[in-house]
Amino acid sequence: MLKKGVKTLLLYCFAFLWLVISFYPFIFMVNTSLKGRMEFLMNPVWAAPDRFLYSNYLKVIEGGFFRFFFNSVGVAAVSVFLILLASSLASYVLSRIRFRFSGLIYGAFVAGMMIPIHITLIPVYNLTKALGIYDSLLALIGPYVSFSLPISIFILTGFMKDVPMELEEAAFMDGASHFQIYSKVLLPLSKPALATVAIYNFIMLWNEFIYALVLLTSKKNWNLTMGLWNFQGQYSIDIPLIMATLTLAALPLILIYVFLQEQVIKGMTSGALKG
Amino acid sequence: MKKLEQLPWYRRENFVISLFLIPAAFFFVLYIVAPIPISFYYSLFRWDGIGQKIFIGFQNWSELMRDPVFFRALKNNFILVVVSIIVQLPFGIGLALLLNGGRWWTKPLKTIYVLPYLMSSVAIGMLWRYVYEPTFGLVNMFLEAIGKYHWIQDWLGDPKIVLYSVINAINWQFIPFYMILFMAAMTAIPEELYEAAKIDGASPWKSFWTITIPLLMPTITNAATLSLVGSLKYFDLIHVLSGGGPSHASELLATYMYKRSFHHFRMGYGSTIAVALFTIGVVVSSIFMRSARRKEYEGSAL
Amino acid sequence: MKKATLYLLVISLLLGSSLSVYAQQVNLTLWHIHTNEGAAQYTIQDAIRRFEADYPNVKIEEVQIINDEYKTKLMIAMGANDEPDIFMSWGGGPLETYINAGKVWDMTDALNNEGIYDNFLPVALDLGVVNGRVYGVPIVNMASALVWYRTDIFERFGLEVPTTYSELLDVMEVFNKNNITPFALANANKWTGSMYFMYLVDRVAGPEEFYNAMMRVNGGSFASEGFIKAGEYLQDLVRKGAFPRGFQSMDEDLAQSRNLLYTERAAMYLMGSWAYGTIKAENDSMLEHLDFFVFPGIDGGKGDPSNLVGTPGDNYFSIAQKSAHKEYAAKFLGYLSDDTAAQMLIDNGHIPPFGSNIGERISDPMMQKIYGAVSGSDTVQLWYDQSLPPELAQVHLDTTQALFGLEMTPEEAAKTMEEAAKRYHNEK
Repeated sequence: MLKKGVKTLLLYCFAFLWLVISFYPFIFMVNTSLKGRMEFLMNPVWAAPDRFLYSNYLKVIEGGFFRFFFNSVGVAAVSVFLILLASSLASYVLSRIRFRFSGLIYGAFVAGMMIPIHITLIPVYNLTKALGIYDSLLALIGPYVSFSLPISIFILTGFMKDVPMELEEAAFMDGASHFQIYSKVLLPLSKPALATVAIYNFIMLWNEFIYALVLLTSKKNWNLTMGLWNFQGQYSIDIPLIMATLTLAALPLILIYVFLQEQVIKGMTSGALKG
Repeated sequence: MKKLEQLPWYRRENFVISLFLIPAAFFFVLYIVAPIPISFYYSLFRWDGIGQKIFIGFQNWSELMRDPVFFRALKNNFILVVVSIIVQLPFGIGLALLLNGGRWWTKPLKTIYVLPYLMSSVAIGMLWRYVYEPTFGLVNMFLEAIGKYHWIQDWLGDPKIVLYSVINAINWQFIPFYMILFMAAMTAIPEELYEAAKIDGASPWKSFWTITIPLLMPTITNAATLSLVGSLKYFDLIHVLSGGGPSHASELLATYMYKRSFHHFRMGYGSTIAVALFTIGVVVSSIFMRSARRKEYEGSAL
Repeated sequence: MKKATLYLLVISLLLGSSLSVYAQQVNLTLWHIHTNEGAAQYTIQDAIRRFEADYPNVKIEEVQIINDEYKTKLMIAMGANDEPDIFMSWGGGPLETYINAGKVWDMTDALNNEGIYDNFLPVALDLGVVNGRVYGVPIVNMASALVWYRTDIFERFGLEVPTTYSELLDVMEVFNKNNITPFALANANKWTGSMYFMYLVDRVAGPEEFYNAMMRVNGGSFASEGFIKAGEYLQDLVRKGAFPRGFQSMDEDLAQSRNLLYTERAAMYLMGSWAYGTIKAENDSMLEHLDFFVFPGIDGGKGDPSNLVGTPGDNYFSIAQKSAHKEYAAKFLGYLSDDTAAQMLIDNGHIPPFGSNIGERISDPMMQKIYGAVSGSDTVQLWYDQSLPPELAQVHLDTTQALFGLEMTPEEAAKTMEEAAKRYHNEK
């Protein structure tokens, strides 16, 4: 009995410790964002603000925050849609049909995971110019989709391989085409893996930095990360202001997650990311 | 499938195969495959990225073999791989276990524990800079307040610890991701298995090792692969937090390549590093995936 | 009815005129790094406004790029033959790289034709000149590295401004005893620490030491006694606690150094003269406790203790060879370097590298003092990282940072630098 008590206590301690570790930086961030510039430097970091200073937030919003925010969301959403489409189609073929080069093609896609994106900057820059989409949000979609494909195909193919064949053989007998099987049978069954792919890529892309830096110039096209980086450059001295920017930038995804977390976990359940 | 020849052309496999692969292949070839030979080609030149390319054969490659910074970055990359896998995965599993039971406090914790993963790398870098700030930062101020002066460190400036400081922030960012993965995988394990084990008199500890871990194995393998690949080409947080410094103490291959190419005007040499990074990555990850798959088969055979 | 016709007339007139303007519309792109509000940003934007008012058919698109990523972005643009019409660099080595690649327009004749050649101070213009031709004009600031210090902290301990190295050590000892960091230094950026090294080399061995090594003349070498000695002094400073905890990872661009100064945790700050403007903008309550002195001499050293390290122009503006509207770009540079621009820089704490009677136009006493120091010095050594070709500049910065971290001995650092120089020149 006593042993169980000790165990529970340890469990609580661990849970609490992790709570502090994962949450305290956020408290620090929000707390600091409400302080004055010199106040932050003169007082201990954990001290509460002398008075809540909301002006930092106003300044960030006036700096074009929402524009950057919607740019980020828009580009990420379109890219994720294309990623899901392209990778599920490819994964269907790679996991359900046996053909001579399937292993090789799969290997090539997966090897793509190892490409360091930075070396593609100059070729991609040239390509973007040639396509006439430089300095537009369209410019980002190509590289975003491409660099998310390998990992998405890796996850989806792995998952689809484990989906039992019976259902689709029955459908095949009924004369269904590959496309029908793909859209009616396999896609619904792959929902968990698709959810994983969508979440994973959205989080990666909506805050992407290096392509946005290289392929965008006009302020009106910046994504959120570019905005963050620029705020940091512009108000380097004002740490509370930077923290206000970070808070605002983190907030949307947190809110979305809080509302959707049940679906997210449920979507990923039933063995997402199986080998 | 047996009656292939009698199918109309648009039902034939080859047509379907190509049609389904085209969208992915289009993006893939254009943005990913093409740059590899281009990079290799650049690696044969002395080139500042702007002006004339001067062909120098394999000079960049022989310089690379003698470049201590390259090997230091390589070593750092492997440290990052190992630490990521042995820290992020166990913590991910542990937290998933912790939240698996339906106690009253698990639900809010499920949300809070995930928060770090929802922030962008640049934002995390900016935040952790002030966690580690030597004078005004969270950690050192706290240590000062509780009087542990000798624990105060130069978290990002001391070459001996900077790499681990940054890895710590990387772990902070990614542990929640693995936690979600494992949480999802655990809910898929049928409850009856545990009940049966309980009836057989197995302790929770024992059923963890005999039921949970074996059934999580595929997820663990995949998580390890993701972690491996991500760590080998990691860039973001290092770039924002330490810039690879001081004196290359936290340099990774990707940051080193970026610096050489774009800050030092040595595009040829940077391309050499990139091709090397790509090659090393493909070799290491294919060895890893192959052996992981073999293990899995062995495991299922038992 | 009448009203409506009138409206229509006005609208069609407006449309017509705007269309005709549109027909000969000229667009110029300008890239620079001044994302912070301050002298440079104000001056550039004001010049654009004035220029666009006088040339309504020209539109200048100003792009501000964060300092850290500016070179990357410019380089990628040049690599793709897509550089902006007007761009900024720091003169010297990197500018030469662009020139050698055929990216920069020789604007000598245009400057003469526009009558703006004489706007610029010859000494400042020099860094934009290659083989007697002008490729870049100095715009922003005549800057020198000075030791800024808090007069209140000095007074509190009854200290005098140190004029020699040993006096400096005495001052440092007092500060360290009282838990005050002698120098606020943020060395993640490397060029910040490089200032100490450059001064020490100058004070130990005089300005010829660097010149000879860089130009590979008179048997000069980066592995010479002078450089090694300077490295030893530098590490002596580190060992004696001259710098704050964590200085190697602190970022100058994030003001991590100045925060120490503002909170009275540090007493001195070796930084370019732009620090005056920066501090004025960031924390003007500190101005009454702010003063500077010139880096102290070394007993028995060869360098004159009035020698300065700095840059006569700071930012150089160039016109792209491929620009379709070079004449307009050159005219714009005239606006950027006229008396209005000069006055604007002065008002915001900079010393313009162009314009006439600068000394008389400065009214702020601190600015006058800075101007006095700058104009009273025989030698202003240009920052090493701008004199050297980019590749070698990087080696200099890296080895100097390693010296600060005590990760290299002065001999090793000097040897590494010399080997890199040899490799660079042989290959060329």
